Amino acid sequence: MPEILSQPATLRVKLHGQGVRHIELTLETLTIGRKADNTLVIEDPAVSGHHARIVKVQAVFFLEDLKSTNGTAINGMPITRHQLRDADVITIGQHRLVFQENATSNTAAPAPFVDLDRTTVLRGTDRTPDGPTLTAKVLVVAGKTDRLEYPLTKHVNVIGSQDGAAIRLTGWFAPKLAATIARRGHSYSISSSKGAKSLLVNGTNVMGQQDLKDGDQIEVAGVKLTFSLLSGTKNTSR
Amino acid sequence: MADPSLGLYVVCDGMGGGNAGEIASTLAVEAIQAHLAEAVRHADLPLIGPFNATVSVPANRLASAIRAANEVVHRESWSRPDYAGMGTTVVAALLHEEVLAIAHVGDSRFYLVRNGTIQALTTDHSWVAEQILKGLITQEEAECSPRRNIVTKALGVESSVDVELTEVPVKSGDMLLLCSDGLTRGVHPNDILHILSGSEDLPAMSDRLIVMANEAGGDDNTTVVIVSLRDELQAGLWERLKKQFVA
Repeated sequence: MPEILSQPATLRVKLHGQGVRHIELTLETLTIGRKADNTLVIEDPAVSGHHARIVKVQAVFFLEDLKSTNGTAINGMPITRHQLRDADVITIGQHRLVFQENATSNTAAPAPFVDLDRTTVLRGTDRTPDGPTLTAKVLVVAGKTDRLEYPLTKHVNVIGSQDGAAIRLTGWFAPKLAATIARRGHSYSISSSKGAKSLLVNGTNVMGQQDLKDGDQIEVAGVKLTFSLLSGTKNTSR
Repeated sequence: MADPSLGLYVVCDGMGGGNAGEIASTLAVEAIQAHLAEAVRHADLPLIGPFNATVSVPANRLASAIRAANEVVHRESWSRPDYAGMGTTVVAALLHEEVLAIAHVGDSRFYLVRNGTIQALTTDHSWVAEQILKGLITQEEAECSPRRNIVTKALGVESSVDVELTEVPVKSGDMLLLCSDGLTRGVHPNDILHILSGSEDLPAMSDRLIVMANEAGGDDNTTVVIVSLRDELQAGLWERLKKQFVA
């Protein structure tokens, strides 16, 4: 399985009349417009030659409108220059771009994608004062652990027998650190560790790191887990 | 400062007239190291400041050490008139097993180099960075701004400090870079990456980075700590084995 490491943020691009594609935001600047010298070219007379750009400043991203004729909006709000947060929808005319943040810990707590109905169902301890609302948990299918269900509240959730492990393995020979599930913004990824002989996700060996999606089956150090993503903001295929 | 036995790496950049800046940064580094060393001896050493449940106990201990350093620098700043107002930035990383806690106050920075890419994992607590975050200025304007040296948070200036804390899993092959703003102001991350991807030894690489920073107009006291995790993660195991076999 190819190693997918610290993924940069991505843009989910849905141009009017075309299918969906994803662009990785690896460059410091990504320009958007009608002219061919842009990184993302949109052939639409309603889009200005140099319409907007996305710039990366250290660990955060900004969208800037380049004095376009018809303007640029984020979540329906017209902007000149605005910080991008996970799941923000950028509108340029009839074209939609969704910013998906995978970068590690943003400084400002991301504008919480809180669905108030869902929040009231969560237990009090799930809501951490300085992190996003609980968006994922792990369910134990088989193996020796101290609980059957674990909310993923931390930046780094350790699967192992060590003190402080988020998912505590209780088997006799369980390694102190078998694997870790890390949260970046609203995305989660699992990383293998030298503590465990192998890490399988949906039956395939993972060397290094792999993003997790809702329903993924994890097998490591003699336990089987199901990863469950509670947030409703992930793409669903239509 | 690097203390591999603790898994602790720290860069502090002091501010203050005369040699007060140097005093502040030295006091801070020593206080952070002392607090963490004490915590190894006495695991029930009380934490300074609130417990952050989104990170591990060692990460909380790192934040606690930084708050301890803040108290020391703040107290000393009152002890002599020429120390008044002195302070220091800090960026610190604490490695435990394969997880790295990263804490910072101010505009010293942490970069992670992994598989040919370099990524800043901290965002500066500086006036210009906050202006950028509010959408008031661009990165280009920030670089030319006469206010680019203003930090909005530092150790020692107030009796309590807000420490920004995060945690990431790391693996063998990763490289860590902690540096003061002298490097980041003058040298582009791509050039930093180029140097760190070479086959020189770590001291040679850090010398090259400092030379580049000075050539770009740095303030001559740029500090850099480079950690190659290939050795560190293996060293961890060796240290543990040594403890078992040496009386």
